[in-house]
Amino acid sequence: MAIEQKMIDIIAEQLSVDKEKVVSGASFTDDLGADSLDLVELIMAMEEGFDIEIPDEDAESITTVQNAIDYVKKLK
Amino acid sequence: MQLPSLSIAGLTAPFPLIQGGMSIRVSTSALAAPVANNGGIGVIGGSAIPTEELKADIRKAKENSNGIIAVNIMYAMKDFYDLVMASIDARVDMIITGAGFSRDIFKIGRQHNMPIVMIVSTPGLAKLAERLGASAVIAEAKEAGGHLGTNKPLREIFPAIRKVIRKIPLIAAGGITNGYEMAEMMDKYGADGVQIASRFILSEECDVADEYKQAYLKAKKEDIVLTSSPVGMPGRALNNPFVQKLNAGEDVSTKQCLWNCLKKCDHRYCISERLKIARAGNVKEGLLFSGENMFKMDSILPVAEIFRRFKKQAESVYKEGIGFKPQPGIDDEDNGAT
Repeated sequence: MAIEQKMIDIIAEQLSVDKEKVVSGASFTDDLGADSLDLVELIMAMEEGFDIEIPDEDAESITTVQNAIDYVKKLK
Repeated sequence: MQLPSLSIAGLTAPFPLIQGGMSIRVSTSALAAPVANNGGIGVIGGSAIPTEELKADIRKAKENSNGIIAVNIMYAMKDFYDLVMASIDARVDMIITGAGFSRDIFKIGRQHNMPIVMIVSTPGLAKLAERLGASAVIAEAKEAGGHLGTNKPLREIFPAIRKVIRKIPLIAAGGITNGYEMAEMMDKYGADGVQIASRFILSEECDVADEYKQAYLKAKKEDIVLTSSPVGMPGRALNNPFVQKLNAGEDVSTKQCLWNCLKKCDHRYCISERLKIARAGNVKEGLLFSGENMFKMDSILPVAEIFRRFKKQAESVYKEGIGFKPQPGIDDEDNGAT
């Protein structure tokens, strides 16, 4: 549960959206209005928040809230 | 007044002009080497060609010039990293990238002591590029040819990017056709240099089919239009029968993916195939990327002559406090051609 909650907090803060909108299926670009800069900054915030490193190739596959949670869970 | 030189990561181009990278095989060593020899930065279009071919062409450009040779590789390419590593292996002087934002490229740049130059269209991405270690930033506006990251004009996007880029060179790109505009961007807008691509298609040295050059030479203002690229970005190109069909929503797709070149492709058409056949001379069915002001250029010139005119025009107005309009006497022998 901790990872989910923390991820939702990070996403809501980075993309300046309400936490209620950060549901598991939400797409960063289509549903949460992220542009290319937001996406890069979001990935960097995840790296910092979870103390991990996300290479470009993995970053490209993280397009939804669920993707992000699954990715971090796999590493932790 | 004389223009300042352009220094990027300790490499100095005597004339502050970067020739924009044009893929596929439009800007090759044949063009990049003379550009570097004339004091600019020559750029090989490094997208969508085999890594061995890219390496050989970088080596050729380096052999044939004593200036700075760079490569431009789109992040959208599936084999982006292979092309980057091949370029480093062939000892290119710098890597220019755009069409997407890579963070890993900066780590690779640091590891291999390779200057990385990022093409962006917004202040946010410019600032991020600088923070991550870019050696220079190119601010490219909607007047550019090929893939576009913005629908805003150069004189609108540039000041905001200039405001956030203070430590590294900032280059202006998109629609610049002559030395007067170059001087305007450097003097009035504070650019450290300019990137010019379309003008060099109409150079004697540009190694493409004559039909390809003639198509640009004949283009009028209304022939240069916006279309879409399977990369998922808008693009600016000549409005030939292929682009007309594409923009009308007709099916121009290829039955199967031949090149497997892009990370994400919408398969509306095969951009690799269309660019390749255009360069080879099929200007009806190929894709001819073009800057918005291509129609202003009315002659095929040697690279040295393009440089001579840019220099003469730019220096007639740069920091002279007389505006940036063509000056009497400067263009007489050229009929004002750009």
